[in-house]
Amino acid sequence: MANIAAKRIKREFKEIMKSEEVIGGSIKLGLVNENWTELKGEIAGPVDTPYEGGTFLLEIKVPETYPFNPPKIRFLTKIWHPNVSSVTGAICLDILKDQWAAALTLRTVLLSLQALLSAGEPNDPQDAVVAKQFRENPRLFTMTARHWTNVYAGGPNIVHECNSKVQRMLDMGIDEHQARVALSSYDWDLERATEQLFG
Amino acid sequence: MAGYFEEMGWRELGDGEQPNHLLHFARFLIDSGLDRSGAAEWPSLPPPASKEAVKKLQDVIIENQKKGCPICLKNLEAGEKVKKMPCNHIFHPRCILTWLDKTNSCPFCRHEMPTDDENYEAYKKAKKRAEQSQNDLDALHNSMFS
Repeated sequence: MANIAAKRIKREFKEIMKSEEVIGGSIKLGLVNENWTELKGEIAGPVDTPYEGGTFLLEIKVPETYPFNPPKIRFLTKIWHPNVSSVTGAICLDILKDQWAAALTLRTVLLSLQALLSAGEPNDPQDAVVAKQFRENPRLFTMTARHWTNVYAGGPNIVHECNSKVQRMLDMGIDEHQARVALSSYDWDLERATEQLFG
Repeated sequence: MAGYFEEMGWRELGDGEQPNHLLHFARFLIDSGLDRSGAAEWPSLPPPASKEAVKKLQDVIIENQKKGCPICLKNLEAGEKVKKMPCNHIFHPRCILTWLDKTNSCPFCRHEMPTDDENYEAYKKAKKRAEQSQNDLDALHNSMFS
């Protein structure tokens, strides 16, 4: 079985390198080890989304039973999205679970993940806090997602309001990422975020 | 005014009569969509295709096309014997049989084959009925308001 998986990944790899998305730079795929069981993916944040301009790294683990079972994928780049855990990078996407089909490929999966960034699905959330903000406070959600893209994914759009609030917490001696998570989770209410960390 | 209430099937409560709370609660649940989440998606991968249906899959000899098998991505060469699904998609026998032993749909287009799982077949019927009644309801609604 392991043999089928490796052979198919090799074929996919050749195909994907010739695809217009790789040539155009919107997705990338690289090898992590020699026996084709682990790869690294990269997707560009779609235009007209808060992820625009960011580059998101993905860990791809190919099971021995591939393509009869889906690849195991998670975000390595921290991202603020209702269907991705802001802590572990775990993804909630049906084709990576019970809607997997053997004819799907790493290329179609990467494109689906890119589409997920364009259209979050808050009714099937991976991260409940993010999903709640997405539904109830879209303006703050967009701001937070853009800020995370700027800080963690190299996005060009600096969100000054977020930076200055994070700085205020840094000045209190709080760890930067912890501060950002607390502020993001409490709708950028400095008082409540601080309270939560010290309380 | 009385005509309106009659038309809606409403009437005044009698002396000492209480509204039907259970009925109102049921309507509330339906309006908030709870009835639909009850008939939710099948919780995991659908079961394997039925043994009978798999046995009946057509064998085809490739003539001269050079399409690939969507499962292993290897080219299908002329003269090779392949399996043809009811949706006309073709695969290496070993590839498609392994897949159908796991779940019942075409890996390419998700065309569903019958299964040997009673629960799943019952679920499929219930889902189809729900779709049908939703369609009927939409048709009725549209006919009244167009």
